[in-house]
Parts: sequence; C-alpha cells; structure tokens
Amino acid sequence: MIFMNIEMDTNDVSILQMSDSFFPTGLYATSSGLEALSQVKKVKRKDIFQFITMQLAQVIGPSDCTAMGYAHESYKKKDIVSLLHADESLYYMKLIEETRIASTRSGNQLLKCVSTFARNQKMLKEYQIAITRGKATGVYAVSFGAVTSSLNIPKNKAGMMLMYGFAVSIVGAAMRLGILQHFEGQKIIHELRPVILVTVLENIDRPISNMWQFAPILDILQMKHEALGSKMFIT
Amino acid sequence: MGSKRVPRVGIGGPVGSGKTMLIEQIVPILSAKGYKMSIISNDVISKEDAERMRQNLATDKGLMPEEMVIGVATGGCPHTAVREDPSINLSVVEELESKYPFLDLILIESGGDNITTTFSPALADYFIYIIDVTGGDKYPRKRGLGIENCDLLVINKIDIAPYVGADLKIMERDAKIVRTSKPTVFVNSKTAQGVNAVVSFIIKDVLFDALPKMSKQVN
Repeated sequence: MIFMNIEMDTNDVSILQMSDSFFPTGLYATSSGLEALSQVKKVKRKDIFQFITMQLAQVIGPSDCTAMGYAHESYKKKDIVSLLHADESLYYMKLIEETRIASTRSGNQLLKCVSTFARNQKMLKEYQIAITRGKATGVYAVSFGAVTSSLNIPKNKAGMMLMYGFAVSIVGAAMRLGILQHFEGQKIIHELRPVILVTVLENIDRPISNMWQFAPILDILQMKHEALGSKMFIT
Repeated sequence: MGSKRVPRVGIGGPVGSGKTMLIEQIVPILSAKGYKMSIISNDVISKEDAERMRQNLATDKGLMPEEMVIGVATGGCPHTAVREDPSINLSVVEELESKYPFLDLILIESGGDNITTTFSPALADYFIYIIDVTGGDKYPRKRGLGIENCDLLVINKIDIAPYVGADLKIMERDAKIVRTSKPTVFVNSKTAQGVNAVVSFIIKDVLFDALPKMSKQVN
C-alpha cells in the first residue's frame, strides 16, 4: 500500500511538471489568433475570457481534446494503428498552415523530451519512428495523449492539463500583447476552471469520427496573420 | 531521428548590435571556401532580418536556396527561444539536418536581447556574442552572461568609436579580464574589417578545419 501511495504521488508530480509553463514545448510562441485580432483592434481586455471560452468550445475541445483522449486510450491499449489514426485525423483538421507546423514541432519536441525519462516508452519510440518515416506528424495533442499515458497520468486529468496549458498560453500572449495585466490574467485562469472541466467532459470520450472544429472568422484572420511582416507570435 | 548533427553557431546580442550584418559578411566568405550553410533567424517582432538575409544572400548573391533562410517567431521571448525552451528552434534545426544532410553549418541568430543572453548547449555548439561601441567602453567591464560565457566576443562598429567616446584599448583590456583566455574580435561589419578573424574561429573551433562536405564527395 505504501508503494502504491508513493506511485500516486509521483504521478501527481508528473502532472505538475507537464502543466508547468516551464516545460519546454514552445507554446509561448503561439497566440492562437489573439495577435491577429489585436492587430485589427478587435479585442479588448473584457473579451479575453470569452475568446478563450470560444476557442475551447469551438476549436480545441472538439478537436484537440478529442484526439488527445483517443491517443491516450490507444497508447494504453498499445494500439499504434489507432494512435496514428488520431495523429492523421487531427493534423488534417488544422486549417491554418502555421498552426499545423507549430503543433507538430511542439509535439515532436514533447516526445523527445519525455522519451529521455519515461519508463513505459516502447510505443513512444514506435510513434517517433513513424514520424521519421513520414507515416505520422507528431501533432501536439496526440503526442500529449501518448506521453501522459506513458507517464500513467489518468486521461481526464491529461485532458484538463491540455486545456489548462492552452488557456494559459493565450493569457500569456494577452499579457505580452499589452491587453492584460498579470492579476487580470490569473483571475481569468481562475474563472476558466468550470469551462475547462466542461470542455474535457464533453469532448474527451467523443468518438474520433465525430471530431470537429468551427471558427471560420478566426481561421480567416489567422490566415491573414500568417502573411504579416510584423508579428510576435507564430499564430 | 537518425540524421547526422550539423555543427551550429548561435549568434546573440542586443538589438542593433549587428548580428544580421555579421552573418551577411560571414556567409559569403565561408561560401567562397565551399561550405554550405543554412540560417535560422529568430524574430522579436518582424520578419525583416530573415527577409533581408534571404534577399541578400539567397536571391541576390545565390549563396544558398531561399528556403534555407528561415524566420522563427518567438512570441516576444527571444531569450527563452534559444535557452530555456529552444523547442521550436530545435525542431527547425532537425528538419534542416534531415532535409539537407550536405550542410556544413547552421547559423542561428537570436532575437535582439539584453546582456544576459546565452544559448542552450542543446541548440548551439558555439556561441558568438556581439556588442557594439555605442554602448560605451564600459560594456565589457559591466559583464553579463553573454559577454562572459560566449565562445567568441565580437565588438562591432569600431569605426565610430572616436565619435562616441569609446576607447577600444579599454574594451580590449576589460574583455581580457572578464573573459580570461577566451577570444575577442573587433570588427566593422559594414566594411567587413575583422570579419575574416571571426570566420577563422568558426573554421577552427566549430568545423575543426574540416573540408566542406560537398568537396569531400567530389574528391
């Protein structure tokens, strides 16, 4: 029993480690469309909570969270075919080229980083080999599902970590864009707790064939953002 | 995975110190010797540096294909992108290594930052830090991680030292004290004065005097 408790405690520490913005994934370089809105003066301080909620409900929840949950399960079942299916499905759902590229770059570095310390990593290696051979992309949410499963982090907690990381990356971008100050950012993160919970519960067990995303105005703005000469963020 | 590591030089320094121009002077000299290079330019707020180098070195001079000059956005965190979390830069480097195994060297320009800039050893094998004389001759004496830890300190814009009251002898003396045995080179990147010395350090300390890969294949 004592050892089981120790195991549970170390998994909790893994949750903290992987949720920390210090964990190296490159997400600090993305604003998920916020910079595009900021440049056309379409976003203010009061809009940030709604912006993140909309992204979670319309984009990240029904696509990334669903793919992450499917990848997590696939890894647990040692089903590499299903894992690659999640990878392909999510990659082709990302309409913005720079978002696709940034997501795969972050995912690949995440896999490499966790491979240096995870014990249960046979399938992580198989996934990386598939990426090297061009059979998979390493898109971030799927890589996240694989590594959290390899670290024995429960699926629902992994979902919350993914949504939390996404929300924090946008709040961080809003601060660097001068839209928010630091206390406001923390208040928004606090207020997002039920939104994150609902997003995970609604999407993590969704069949991957029902994965979707729909935010056309944001998609168009981000496509314009790709071509900008002056910008801080990748997306 | 599987591709061979290409030597990498990280070039950091404050905004306006001459990082981009130093690269624009280094690349033609190394190209003339047959070395093949790629450039990753970390942007703070614009793509201007990457686009300028692409136009100058690739389009106009034909020293490399245009796709080998790559701009990377850093989310306003230039030091993070080359030190604490170099994930995006590492991904780009690995893509280059995989796509272009014939490369002899990858030059990584950091976004303009402050005197605490350093490169993660996972990202750069050799670190050049560049400052200029307009900050005054106290600059090396004030230390900072970049000045102290870099493999090669480059002091740029020496032509205007008399006009800004900077004494190059004081800078040389203080750099020696602060950096002990590590080298310092004085340059004027506008005219390429001193740049050959920088190139010599790269060939000796990064490439270990190796011939260009392509010349080995021909031979």
